[in-house]
Amino acid sequence: MALSHTWQQFLDETGDISRFTRRFFLQGFKPRYEIAELLRQCYIIGYKSLPLVGLTGFIMGLVLTMQLRPSLISYGAESELPAMVGIAIVREIGPVITALIFAGKIGSSIGAELGSMKVTEQIDAMEVSGTNPFKYLVVTRVLAATLMLPVLVILGDAISLYGSYLGVNIRGITSFSLFFQQVFDALSFSDFFPALIKSYFFGFAVGIIGCYKGFNSSKGTEGVGRSANSAVVVSSVLIFIIDLLAVQITDILGFN
Amino acid sequence: MTKRPINNLKLGIFVLVGLLLLIFSLYMIGRDNNLFGKNYKLTARFENVQGLTVGNNVRYAGIQVGTVKKIRILNDTLIEVAMLIDVKMKQYIHKNDIVSMSTDGLMGNRILNITASKDGSLLAEDGDLLATKKNISTDEMLETLDKTNRNIAVISEELKTTVLRINSSAAIWKLLNETELPDNLRASVLSIRHATGRADEMVKDLHSIIADVKNGKGSLGAILTDTAIARNLEEALLKIQQVGDHATALVDELSKLTAGIKEDINSGNGTAHALLKDSALVIKLNNSLSNIEKGTDGFNQNMEALKHNFLLRGYFRKLEKQKRKQ
Repeated sequence: MALSHTWQQFLDETGDISRFTRRFFLQGFKPRYEIAELLRQCYIIGYKSLPLVGLTGFIMGLVLTMQLRPSLISYGAESELPAMVGIAIVREIGPVITALIFAGKIGSSIGAELGSMKVTEQIDAMEVSGTNPFKYLVVTRVLAATLMLPVLVILGDAISLYGSYLGVNIRGITSFSLFFQQVFDALSFSDFFPALIKSYFFGFAVGIIGCYKGFNSSKGTEGVGRSANSAVVVSSVLIFIIDLLAVQITDILGFN
Repeated sequence: MTKRPINNLKLGIFVLVGLLLLIFSLYMIGRDNNLFGKNYKLTARFENVQGLTVGNNVRYAGIQVGTVKKIRILNDTLIEVAMLIDVKMKQYIHKNDIVSMSTDGLMGNRILNITASKDGSLLAEDGDLLATKKNISTDEMLETLDKTNRNIAVISEELKTTVLRINSSAAIWKLLNETELPDNLRASVLSIRHATGRADEMVKDLHSIIADVKNGKGSLGAILTDTAIARNLEEALLKIQQVGDHATALVDELSKLTAGIKEDINSGNGTAHALLKDSALVIKLNNSLSNIEKGTDGFNQNMEALKHNFLLRGYFRKLEKQKRKQ
């Protein structure tokens, strides 16, 4: 049956990803750490993504502010604009938008890079030459993605809030210190920490899916494209699923 | 696989900036929750905390000074609220200051307000219990409003009947439709204005008169202002008094005299007594008077006879002529 076949494939892949994740944890924390490669990946994954994340964050902050303004004006609560945008950005928009952009940029690049290495049998060659390809290629990338995404989220939030400040000032006049004060008055640790923690999970998901798709790329150039594509799709969906889980967990823990 | 160049400096800056922002925002958020400053504890007891929760703000004269740390039920009518107050405020908050509950904005969070008592009591120490003031809750306000609403309903009902009665009253409408009335009113007002104008003039005249009197013009003024007249008046009064004294003396003498006369009369001395009391004398007098009457009658006849006597007729005619001339 076609349906059961699809389901079987899906479950197969889920199991594979789980085993891949287990392998990451088993190998990732054993010595001989690839520090230099990790830093290189951090630079590529983190620093190189900043302009893109900054641009999207800035635009999101600006647009969100301008979109919210009319409805807040109709409630006569225009002065609540900074607080509202601040909470929206820090709790949800910042982490999710940054993670999606990150998935688009990093997930696809990891998928394509590892996929092409797999297809051109460089990974096999690496294994022959005595280097652990999993450790060298996968662990470093996943760790780099996990560590860099939260940093990108924080920077993206800051740029977003600056965009929001400009957005507030397009129609009204609010000093920077007042804007700043209003945003931080509205925020509390329960807004900040769940967002920060979930962005680690977002980064991990993007890294692990990208590596899995690239590592298990099918033969041929077509396989490379497919693995890059599906890395982006799956990690994006996974980001939303993790987001859903995160909001439920924080709700259960009473942090909402 | 081509090795892309890596710049550790840029990566370091990137990560550092991220971490600094993280630490900074944690500090900014934590500052509101009093996690990093030194605090001291104050407590207050309420009957009803109206939805106050841990972490709500505490304000002193409108300034954010701390947060609610703990809410504890003491018994069924008393709830103790512990507040963490910034230690910098220790020099301002006194033992007699009053804690009250209010709302941040119209629909915002619950906040506690500490109001200065201004009676110069000692400064509050750590753990002190401050007095509280019961605030009007919205429920109570709504209850009062409900009463007011009902009263308004009654009033409006009565107003309605009043208006209906006014509307159905022919007399008022007649009055309103009267066209001559305004003219009459205007004329009345005009005459009132004239009258008031005159009254005004009168008042002015009076004013000038009073001014003259004040200045000593005219007799009234002289009376009021001239000291010599006053002296004269005083003397006159003195004299009048003396006259009065004399008069009393006179009256005394008179009364003595009358008493003497009375005595005389009653005891039978003097002519008066003879006149008043002697009945024989009266008869004699009567006889004498009738004799005199008879005598004068005879005399009249004699005189008439004389007029007609030829010796004296010429004289009487002359007298008559003179009378006619006049």
